[in-house]
Amino acid sequence: MPPTTNTLFKPSALSRAWIKTVPPIYAQTRRAQSSEAASGPPPAGGHLPSVATSQLLKSTRESALHVQGIRWIDEVAFRPQDVLSSGRETRKMNMFQAIRDAMSIALAKDDNAVVFGEDVGFGGVFRCTMGLAEEFGRERVFNTPLSEQGIAGFGIGLAAMGHTAIAEIQFSDYIFPAFDQLVNEAAKIRYRSGGQFNVGGLTVRTPTMSVGHGGLYHSQSPEGFFMGASGLKIVVPRSPIQAKGLLLASIRDPNPVIFMEPKILYRSAVEQVPIDDYEIPVGRAEVITAGSDLTVLTYGTPIYHCEAALSMLRSPPLSLAAHIPESVRSASIEVIDLRTILPWDVDTVQKSVEKTGRLLIIHEAGRTGGVGAEIAAEVQKRCFLKLEAPVRRLTGWDTPVALQYEKFIIPDALRIVDAIVETLNY
Amino acid sequence: MNRSLRRCLSTARCFTTAASAPPHGNLFNSRSPITTRLNFVNSITEDGSQIPTFRVLDGAGKVLEGAQEPDIDEALGRKLYEAMNMLPALDNVLYNIQRQGKISFWMTTHGEEATVVGSAAALALEDEVLGQYREMGVLLWRGFSLDAIMGQCFGNVNDHATKGRQMPVHFGSPALHFHTISSPLATQIPQAAGVGYALKRDPARRGKNCAVCYFGEGAASEGDFHAGLLFASTIPSPTLFFVRNNGFAISTPAQEQYYGDGIAARGPGYGIDTVRVDGNDVLAVLAAVREARRRCIEQGRAVLVESMTYRVGHHSTSDDSFAYRARQEVEDRKRIDNPLSRLRLFLESRGWWDAAEETALKSRQKQDVLDAFKRAEVAKQWELKELFGDVYGGEEPWNLKEQREELAGLLRKYGEDWEPWRKELEKYRGKGKELINGT
Repeated sequence: MPPTTNTLFKPSALSRAWIKTVPPIYAQTRRAQSSEAASGPPPAGGHLPSVATSQLLKSTRESALHVQGIRWIDEVAFRPQDVLSSGRETRKMNMFQAIRDAMSIALAKDDNAVVFGEDVGFGGVFRCTMGLAEEFGRERVFNTPLSEQGIAGFGIGLAAMGHTAIAEIQFSDYIFPAFDQLVNEAAKIRYRSGGQFNVGGLTVRTPTMSVGHGGLYHSQSPEGFFMGASGLKIVVPRSPIQAKGLLLASIRDPNPVIFMEPKILYRSAVEQVPIDDYEIPVGRAEVITAGSDLTVLTYGTPIYHCEAALSMLRSPPLSLAAHIPESVRSASIEVIDLRTILPWDVDTVQKSVEKTGRLLIIHEAGRTGGVGAEIAAEVQKRCFLKLEAPVRRLTGWDTPVALQYEKFIIPDALRIVDAIVETLNY
Repeated sequence: MNRSLRRCLSTARCFTTAASAPPHGNLFNSRSPITTRLNFVNSITEDGSQIPTFRVLDGAGKVLEGAQEPDIDEALGRKLYEAMNMLPALDNVLYNIQRQGKISFWMTTHGEEATVVGSAAALALEDEVLGQYREMGVLLWRGFSLDAIMGQCFGNVNDHATKGRQMPVHFGSPALHFHTISSPLATQIPQAAGVGYALKRDPARRGKNCAVCYFGEGAASEGDFHAGLLFASTIPSPTLFFVRNNGFAISTPAQEQYYGDGIAARGPGYGIDTVRVDGNDVLAVLAAVREARRRCIEQGRAVLVESMTYRVGHHSTSDDSFAYRARQEVEDRKRIDNPLSRLRLFLESRGWWDAAEETALKSRQKQDVLDAFKRAEVAKQWELKELFGDVYGGEEPWNLKEQREELAGLLRKYGEDWEPWRKELEKYRGKGKELINGT
């Protein structure tokens, strides 16, 4: 019987104090409705109230154990037909706890695995490494000096020796000093050495996307910059169950993977997460909601804004009723979580757009040269004659993420429903 | 006991620095002594002189007075000399065949033979080497074959290091523990810190091997230099950093590369053991790197060796160094401070070498190189499909499958009709048929 989180996870005094201050769910919803003056400072780690009530999060053990595409990694090799999902345990975890759980499993099962980055020793600025140094020792979980190019280079060296290097870049906004190491080195080592060397053992985790108050340098979505670095993989999870399974799959993938964790979801996204070792496949998108009139393709935080947008579409609030004609309110919308940005699952997307004829791509990153541009080009090539409307990209503007203007920069539920209506009525 | 010694003992000053009994104590929680003198420092030596350079042999191959007798025997002496000579033997042929258009590019080791071979000889075969681009001597020392060298330069089917994908000099060999060279400068430095950490974590290699990182004084200006030394000194990891200070970064002389006392002065900034050595004295390099390696492995921490040498040749076949330095300067250096003749004179003084051996060696090495060149000239290139291989490990992504098929389609359409393509396809093993036929 694997140990429970309560023995694996030994919160420090700091985190115990923090846990006491986290309000229960009902107080969160109430807080969201109360005035600014009454609610106090925003939590440093960000907070997205709508996520708390999302139907996309698995709140029961049964639904958690039967997540699409889950692959159990058991120590004893069972015959495929013996590998049952039922009968396994789950525990309520938020996203940083699920990520921590994944790393704990990786460290426990792989003696050559190490976790390193700035401030990971005490538990990490987002708590993703809580208790790991205490459990596995400072030789395996340790702080590095403040240098992203050093973190990336060091990780590449470890991985070149066949070790499992799980590096953390504190904010994806600060990944750029490591760009040379990641693009010129990590992405190309296998190719340039004729396959004699590789750094498949490297995984670079980094918090990404907006957090509500991050401004230019705590809100970025740099996945687009790496999309051209063939040889790398880029993964973006949307929830605790997805994060744990995708992270374990990324760590074990024979290629260097950049694992970008939407930071606003660390605490806001909570679900029942299987405590066993499991993977969710890298390189495969997931159709979260099936539909036939329009495909919405996105990844990370916007998934939850989509959920809200679909609800607004079906039963618009009075103030928006005039903007959402009756004819579109019963539209059947297919929502796809891309999950892996590179290599992206073109087959799932193509199949969907051939069915619906309309595609809306959503991402927080700016429009020009973003992930949406690449996908739109490929989809229009493959589905040209099937398209009923131009591929629509709903994105952040081509500006940095300005602090006081964030609500008008990051695509929200209103802009999503507006884009859906426009695309349906093209 | 004499009077001055007695005085010393009573004040305890001559055995320790004045700071050991600071009058105002140390800064809180620190070993930094408090001082009332506003004193700025800009040198790691007290009198502001440069860090000294370690040397064993003089310019005529004679052991310097006061130097320790080198710990080598005839066998090692000859092996050093033969390896050092193989470098110009290869350089002379490869430089010229580049000029003839037979290979695309070459970088010579002229002037740095002692630096590269002397350091290689001080290492264990299993010490992991991460080089910059002018360290073929390390590979030669470890037994990299002439066919492998020629293979990589021609990018032919004997190029296992890069399968024809990289420019010449981008060697690599897992068997010889030499990580494949890449063109971006200094990227290998923090990687070497990680390699060292892997060695430390491996119970079979901890305490036995270290990572060894080579780079030039120019590359040491990159941020990656700082990152690498910082990590290997702080985390720490057993990584030996070896700087080839050869006076030039292409056309930029060292005095335009840094203001401080070379690269060695930076070592103490990271708190690591550092030494500067005469890079043209192979016995000094050998002794210095042996000791550096010992300290590196014992401490499990970075050690820095700065090897002072001179780049006699051009930066590469794309460079004509007489555009920025006088021919006379080069000729003078070759004459006054020649790493090959300094060792040869030493060997001759021991009766381990003579003129007949010299002639025989040069002739044999030249012939071996030419034979390898002739074999390489007629070998085929890898299959054209290798253009698409090894981008990813495991399952190949759809975009690469599609793009390979797209190229195959173009070859089927134009491969016979378009003369430039038809000619180009001739050089590949299989002539591209495996792509055209979809195998």
